Amino acid sequence: MASMKELQQQLEAKAARLAAIQKDIGKNHQVRRQYTIQHGENEMVQKELELLEEDANVFKLIGPVLVKQDLAEAKANVNKRIEYILAELRRMEGTLKTLEEQQRNSQEEVMKLQQRIQLAQTGKAKS
Amino acid sequence: MADQDSVVEEIAKLNVDQLRQVKEQVESELSVLQDSLVNIRTAATRFEMASKALNTLSLQPAGKKMLVPLTASLYAAGTLTNPESILVDVGTGYYIEKSLPEGNDYCERKIKFLKANHDKLVEVAGSKQNTAEQVAMVLQAKMRQSSTTTEP
Repeated sequence: MASMKELQQQLEAKAARLAAIQKDIGKNHQVRRQYTIQHGENEMVQKELELLEEDANVFKLIGPVLVKQDLAEAKANVNKRIEYILAELRRMEGTLKTLEEQQRNSQEEVMKLQQRIQLAQTGKAKS
Repeated sequence: MADQDSVVEEIAKLNVDQLRQVKEQVESELSVLQDSLVNIRTAATRFEMASKALNTLSLQPAGKKMLVPLTASLYAAGTLTNPESILVDVGTGYYIEKSLPEGNDYCERKIKFLKANHDKLVEVAGSKQNTAEQVAMVLQAKMRQSSTTTEP
């Protein structure tokens, strides 16, 4: 039977791992929120560009410079950016699912260890 | 409402600690929603001011002397060359040249869009408020229960 000290150490290690996974999940949420906001903004720009006539002037702010852009090129750029953001969002959702599963497993392990420690303590108390 | 009934059942199943957690969570969600509502109202006000500025601009003749802001405290003398066209910031670094009526149209569209979002959020906030009140009621009832049962 593993000694109390070993069990405690294992519990600490498992708890630390659980905390790390939860931190990763938090970061995932944050990054996904950023991407969602950018996606929304790009969609609005896309709609505005759609409403324009072919001869309308479009400018892009690159650093301190306003550069004239071709309408078709601007639309293509915005569309590509939206596609990229959507792909990233999908990827993050996949990562999130994996992380959540890891979190569940880690929580189970921590609970099992806690139960073993409790049993060992009550066993010691009786004897 | 069937939804609210099932929510009440779920809440009744929780013990005091869990109820307190849920109450805190719902209250923090509610506070986030309130902040978003304030942000939307601010943005809508800015668009209304932009629209008013456009109207003032439309009254100015070309060649009118004006002060051009270079920084927050530095202006340079200039003349109004073309009061007919304006540059609209549409987001992600893109600017579109529009005519004055198109600019007004843009502002109105944005204001309408913001109002729609605002109304949707008010609904969600309202139902969150209901949930928070219900959780608080059940929490009080449970606490009263447990205090009477623990008395010897």
